[in-house]
Amino acid sequence: MSTRVLLHVGTPKTGTSYLQDVLFRNRRRLARSGILYPADRFDAHFLAALDLMRMPWGGLEAEAVGAWDRLAGQVRRHRGTAIISHEILATASRSQAGRALTSLGHGDGSEVHLVISARDLVRQIPAEWQENVKHRAALPYRAFLEQVTDPARDTRISSWFWGVQELPDILDRWGHDLPPERIHVVTVPPAGGPQQLLWKRFSVVLGLDGLDLDLEAERANPSLGVPETTLVRRINRAANQELDPADYRPLVRELLAHHTLSQRTSSPRLALPPDLHPWVGEVTASWIAEIEKRGYDVVGDLHDLVGAPPTTDYVSPDQPDEAQVAEAAVDAIKAVLLETARLRHVEAGLRAELLDTQRALERSYLRPTYRWRERSVRRLQEGRLGRGLLKAYRRARGRSSEPA
Amino acid sequence: MTADADPGGLRRAWGWHAHLRDGGATPWRVWEGAGEPGGRYLPGAQQLELLRRLNAAGDVPADLAARVLEASAPGRGRPDLELSGAVEPRAFGPAPIDPADLPDEELLRVLAGLLAEDVLAAGLPESPRPRAIRPWRQRYRMVGDPVLADPRREDLTARGRPPGGRGSVVLVLGSDLGEMLVHEWTARSLGYGAPPFREWVGRAVRDTVPQRVDLARTAAVWRERVGAPRVRIVLDLGAVPRLVRVRRAPAAALPLTADAIELARRVGQVLGLLVAPPVRRDLLRRTLVPRLATSPGPALVLPARHVERAHGQATRMRDALLRAGYAVHGDPDGLLPTERPGVPEPSDAGALALGMRLLLEQPEKRGTA
Repeated sequence: MSTRVLLHVGTPKTGTSYLQDVLFRNRRRLARSGILYPADRFDAHFLAALDLMRMPWGGLEAEAVGAWDRLAGQVRRHRGTAIISHEILATASRSQAGRALTSLGHGDGSEVHLVISARDLVRQIPAEWQENVKHRAALPYRAFLEQVTDPARDTRISSWFWGVQELPDILDRWGHDLPPERIHVVTVPPAGGPQQLLWKRFSVVLGLDGLDLDLEAERANPSLGVPETTLVRRINRAANQELDPADYRPLVRELLAHHTLSQRTSSPRLALPPDLHPWVGEVTASWIAEIEKRGYDVVGDLHDLVGAPPTTDYVSPDQPDEAQVAEAAVDAIKAVLLETARLRHVEAGLRAELLDTQRALERSYLRPTYRWRERSVRRLQEGRLGRGLLKAYRRARGRSSEPA
Repeated sequence: MTADADPGGLRRAWGWHAHLRDGGATPWRVWEGAGEPGGRYLPGAQQLELLRRLNAAGDVPADLAARVLEASAPGRGRPDLELSGAVEPRAFGPAPIDPADLPDEELLRVLAGLLAEDVLAAGLPESPRPRAIRPWRQRYRMVGDPVLADPRREDLTARGRPPGGRGSVVLVLGSDLGEMLVHEWTARSLGYGAPPFREWVGRAVRDTVPQRVDLARTAAVWRERVGAPRVRIVLDLGAVPRLVRVRRAPAAALPLTADAIELARRVGQVLGLLVAPPVRRDLLRRTLVPRLATSPGPALVLPARHVERAHGQATRMRDALLRAGYAVHGDPDGLLPTERPGVPEPSDAGALALGMRLLLEQPEKRGTA
């Protein structure tokens, strides 16, 4: 039974991809320090979360069958500290959270700590729209904002958004059964702060301070600018019906969004429309008051959640500079061309290998007796008598070589 | 429900919880009793209302009541909602709701999860031992409309007449395109999953006809392999026994109502999260479908707004088949959509009622999946 379980349940867009990448790549070093990060693939905790919450995810869920119980079993068998981290856990219901905590040993000897990382809504709202767009959404920014600000919250977009972003509610669902000192709220510093400050906060709460870890990120979830996000949204609208989820992920999300368009850092950044700042301010103030009242362990400063004031040069992604979108599209086309060329080379290599294999096979068939038998069979198949003889021969030989 | 609980409202809610657990069916709106907490947390409005409706429909065993109260709605959707009047208004969290105002869709999400667990626990029925292969059988392939072809092929296989073999004739089974589109969606719903019918069928008639029910494409694929003389288009299903040389017609699919298919589709979505895809398909077809087949209700038909477009597609299909010169058993005009009695889409209310009936039936557990 683990003596201590650190369960990080979100929220999205708070440096979670970086954290999980560091934990995954350093899992052997962590193990030497008695810390378990139970993962045989980088997305192991994502699959476990899908399984726990019975959530379909573009076909990936088929790989997730039984993943939570396996993960929890590894944690229970470990003696020491175990870390689990995935941001979509934020949306778990109370019964799913209860099942997760029980399976990790809560109430049965393990000391479970809940960790939640939080960033201001001024950055989270545009980031969530962008994340939706990178998951095939084609709805304009204004439509997304209307759904998110609608108090009814009865659409898929809005129920998901608040499910993974509304701090007091997430903490209610996950933490109602835990003492407040075991609930840790890590705030994401404002933009422009020291580079390593967020990592420092994570490492304090996860007990990684002082460990010699490789902090070079291999996986991250980089952001896109206004014209780039608009371009991906338009691509979604045009290609969604024909592009399978299994192809969308490597081609649009990875190749175009993450590897190509995210490199364009000089374009206008996505931002919260100035007219929504007062509403966001009110929501945030109520959250801060609630969290302060509950007495959780705050790592950072709750006032980080207030966010930056409105920008003076706000650019709506629904009315972007078309020249910038066209530039981004040229970069995207170039990336697709280069990838196509690479795949053509791979294809040519495979063809050559196949040809070599076929020739080797033919050489083995070049024995005179084989060629004579082949000619005979072909001749026999042309007539009814011949076919009958072949059938009799095959039956006498004792095995069927009838083709399908 | 912790921070802003209204003690009076919360006691009323726990009283309702106890009432429902004991088999009561009084709606929340008129409930006036009170009680002490009966668990670590108060279940959501969806779970409580589903249990109330189950209680109203029949006797709910205690273990089923407990499962309903502990269930979570799988997949994305609205979170578990608080009961209106049980908590003080809060500045955060989804708005509390009177459970009577919940759409059936929300209850169906919870129910599909429970039913999927039941189907998994029931396991697969034992397959009858297939009969010895008949050496003198007619060699055949049976393709085309999956709801027409798959069960007949499986039945013939069980009777010692598996498909394939030298010189097989290829029977491409079909009917009118409207029915074939419904069949294709049914097969997908009972297989690896499908979007809602309204969404799927709109796309199917707008874009290309799905491969299996595009008889012209299917036939062309087999013509390439075996030549046109061995490809037969079968629109008259009465011709099948003669074509495969059997006296007794091979078994057809069990008929399913629109709501039964919708329920199976939703249960399949959850099963996809519990078992590997081939097991999901087998559980749906062999464990769930026989239980659904007895349910009364209207069949699913092609919505009237799509008939004109489907007529155009069917006409092109018919012309392509005749041009290619295949032998056609039945009237080629039988491919054109025809008016059939039924409903143009399933209803959440119907699927929910059927699902509740299945939950209350509590099948025997076999556990072989």
